[in-house]
Amino acid sequence: MKFPEFITPASLDQGLEIKREHGTEARIIAGGTDLILKMRDKVLSPSVLIDLRRASLDSIALSREHLGLGALLSVSEVFENANIARMFPALAAACSKFAGPPIRNRATLAGNIANASPAADLVPPMIAYDADIVLRSSAGERILPLAEFFLGPGQSVIEPDEILTQIRLPLTSASTAATFIKLGQRRSMTISQVNLATRLDLDGRGLVSAARIVLGAVAPVPMRAVAAEAMLTGKELSEELLCAAARKAREEAMPISDVRASRAYRLQMTEVLVRRALLATRRELAGGGTSD
Amino acid sequence: MTNVEIELEVNDRQERVSVEPGKTLLHLLRENLGLTGSKDGCSSGDCGACVVMLDGRPVNSCMVLAPQAEGSSVMTVEGLTQDSELHPLQRAFAESWAFQCGFCTPGMLVSCYALLEFNDNPTRDEIRTAIAGNFCRCTGYQAVVKAVEQAATELRALNGGGRNA
Repeated sequence: MKFPEFITPASLDQGLEIKREHGTEARIIAGGTDLILKMRDKVLSPSVLIDLRRASLDSIALSREHLGLGALLSVSEVFENANIARMFPALAAACSKFAGPPIRNRATLAGNIANASPAADLVPPMIAYDADIVLRSSAGERILPLAEFFLGPGQSVIEPDEILTQIRLPLTSASTAATFIKLGQRRSMTISQVNLATRLDLDGRGLVSAARIVLGAVAPVPMRAVAAEAMLTGKELSEELLCAAARKAREEAMPISDVRASRAYRLQMTEVLVRRALLATRRELAGGGTSD
Repeated sequence: MTNVEIELEVNDRQERVSVEPGKTLLHLLRENLGLTGSKDGCSSGDCGACVVMLDGRPVNSCMVLAPQAEGSSVMTVEGLTQDSELHPLQRAFAESWAFQCGFCTPGMLVSCYALLEFNDNPTRDEIRTAIAGNFCRCTGYQAVVKAVEQAATELRALNGGGRNA
């Protein structure tokens, strides 16, 4: 087997230059936990691998507007960060359910995004938190909502000369709560049959000022159930309303049947799990005492 | 494809090897350094038989390309034994019959070692979480959990006595 050239640039700028030169022929190797398999199975045959571990992409930076997460942070590093646990618990929860410890120590945030797997566990919570991503190229950078990144399984809007360098999570208000739920065939080391995140923000009167219901593994891309979200916005959180929103989310989902679950099962579980997640989110808002 | 020179520290020894860039850390350890404790079970990061410590964290060495480990510090199951003396975990595994065929044991030991490194008094749940990426297909997990509890007790006594295994 012909193996690609392996380059470890000394800086991000050098990496961007190499990416510009080689385009789609070059792949970024982050944790490698997906890429190495895809190369072995000949799904991908890059001629150059770029290892960015000297490009300082593993920092966590708190600004006034957002928490900036370096693209190469491992799932474990995200999970262990106190700011993330406090401000973005649904993301921390997704990290704790991700594969198993040895994979979590290698797999990265950017890898989970850039692979554009419909079942990526970290993506629904990040979209629920309105994450933006930073795409850099040697010509400059662009920032776009993570929700707009995906085009289909393995397909995204990233250009051949671009590298995903940072994920930005806007700082949340006091009266907000979010929940992540993963359903798989086992507790660990399993690809999700359904995964999802819900987030609810309340205004001063206890009405929903923002709702996010983000579904994974039930569509070609991680998707927001926008009609279900719209049912909640501006409303009071009654149990009936949350149940109705869960039914709506099921209508919006468009899963396929595959080795992990049938379409019918995924649809049923979408409703059940959205309901559970919304109820849990509501419980947390009530318990938090920041609203009402 | 020309070989690449990789320098890394393995079990406290500085090593320099020349490998094809597509070689995994697992095969570098087994074939270039003769450290055959780490096993090639699934070659896809699922079974955990190849788990080694890489810069202080347990990882699947089958999912690390050799050039990614350049400059790193690695500890394999062989590194658990100091001066021919078994690590308390190894002894506890033997005494509790925490293995049958033994294929998963090296990775299991390293994952448990990683747990005890930062938590010498783990709950059963914490032990199960620590080995969630290590599959055993013959003995099961109860004896492993018991062995880790035993080793933890012993390590706490040792550390209290000022000696670390």
